[in-house]
Amino acid sequence: MSLHQTIGLIDVNGFGKIGENMNSMLHNEEASARSEAGIVAMSMFFAGLLVVAFTSSPIASGTQAGERAPIFSGEAYDGTSWKSFEFDDLLDVSWTWNSTNDAPWIAVEFLDTDCGYCKNSAEEVGVWAQTYSADQWIGPDVIFIAIAVEFVADSSRAEIVEFRTQYSNDFRFVDDLDISIAKEWDVTATPSYFLVQPDGIVAWNSAVDKLGWDAKEDDTFAITSEDRRVELNEAIEVITLRNGGGQ
Amino acid sequence: MNEYAVLSIHGVIILFGLLLLTPFGSSIATIFHSRYESTKTKRGQLIAGMVFVCFGGFTVSAHTLWMHNKLSEGQSVCSGDTILNCDGLIGNLSYNTDPLFSQPWGLIGMVAFTALMWLVLTIGKDPMSPQTPLFIKVGLGATIAGLPIIGLLVSYEIKEGLICPFCTTAHIANVIALVGFFLLFQLNESEDWAPGTKKYFSRK
Repeated sequence: MSLHQTIGLIDVNGFGKIGENMNSMLHNEEASARSEAGIVAMSMFFAGLLVVAFTSSPIASGTQAGERAPIFSGEAYDGTSWKSFEFDDLLDVSWTWNSTNDAPWIAVEFLDTDCGYCKNSAEEVGVWAQTYSADQWIGPDVIFIAIAVEFVADSSRAEIVEFRTQYSNDFRFVDDLDISIAKEWDVTATPSYFLVQPDGIVAWNSAVDKLGWDAKEDDTFAITSEDRRVELNEAIEVITLRNGGGQ
Repeated sequence: MNEYAVLSIHGVIILFGLLLLTPFGSSIATIFHSRYESTKTKRGQLIAGMVFVCFGGFTVSAHTLWMHNKLSEGQSVCSGDTILNCDGLIGNLSYNTDPLFSQPWGLIGMVAFTALMWLVLTIGKDPMSPQTPLFIKVGLGATIAGLPIIGLLVSYEIKEGLICPFCTTAHIANVIALVGFFLLFQLNESEDWAPGTKKYFSRK
């Protein structure tokens, strides 16, 4: 006769207090089974979490300094035709602050061909794109990428091509007229600029213009203590030369 | 180690559990007889099979969480030119977390298989408990509830034109667990749950 049946008989036959106590023991037996199973299951869970935690160090995705820039793809105009473009093709994940390789940094500009501020700064950005190439200055190569969005009025690929030609922006313009990339990068206004390390970590975001990312210290730092805006060219110079990959 | 070699380890654990659930389970379970008396019974075999399936589902889910983290570090963990490509899905910010809590799918899988493991172990440790039918139904319900979630994740795969073998293995483990809970449910309804004994002690 099993323990359950024995206790059941005692309880059913009304042995009062003894039955209640035995019944309570039965409850304890069930609770004990649940607890033991819980201990085993939770041990398995936390052991799994610990293994994952000790063998990886995840970096949050986002567009703030120190976060991993969202990967995107699309079609880009390079001056001759629209070609498929993969942002991660530009990245070198093995890059570190003291790397001696010549992996390029990436300056990302979000613009709208109908936005007045974008037009005003377009010429200057075109000059910066030429200035910060490896053979023109002491710092590392900086690749410029423009993401053309449609915030203000109807735009088109023809407008993008015209804008690029008009302002001599000799770098790739990615079609983001459906603003899918802008949403991922949390861009709500143009022009917006980002400087991305060769390994894909955001080093500077124009929306938080005074803070740059120090790859060596693994922390943000103030690009300037003065009460003024930091422009893309200043961010490039200060951040890339701070730990520009052994340049 | 090649990622598919590691995947095959998860797969073997799940496959072993699946075999224990099949009619071949009785002959396979003989290897446990000396250490675990309960595996001599049909109930014991099913529970042992479920333990392996849940454990395999847990380990492959933990592996996808690890991949999620590695991808965030910028490393490539399972990519290729073929349709089999985890990086394109686990590394895709639009799809790699659940829409409610924004947690990686791998972590969701770990929690789900831990909960299933708890149910299976509780049933295994106290099979005669009056709570057992409830636990079996909860397990059955939980694995059925997993099906629409699997459907959502498969829709992502179709949208991207990629298949994540690690994710698919976890999905298969959930489906096998569903079958396992169904078999437990059927067995529990029959006299074979505890041959020769009254199943539950009925309280007043």
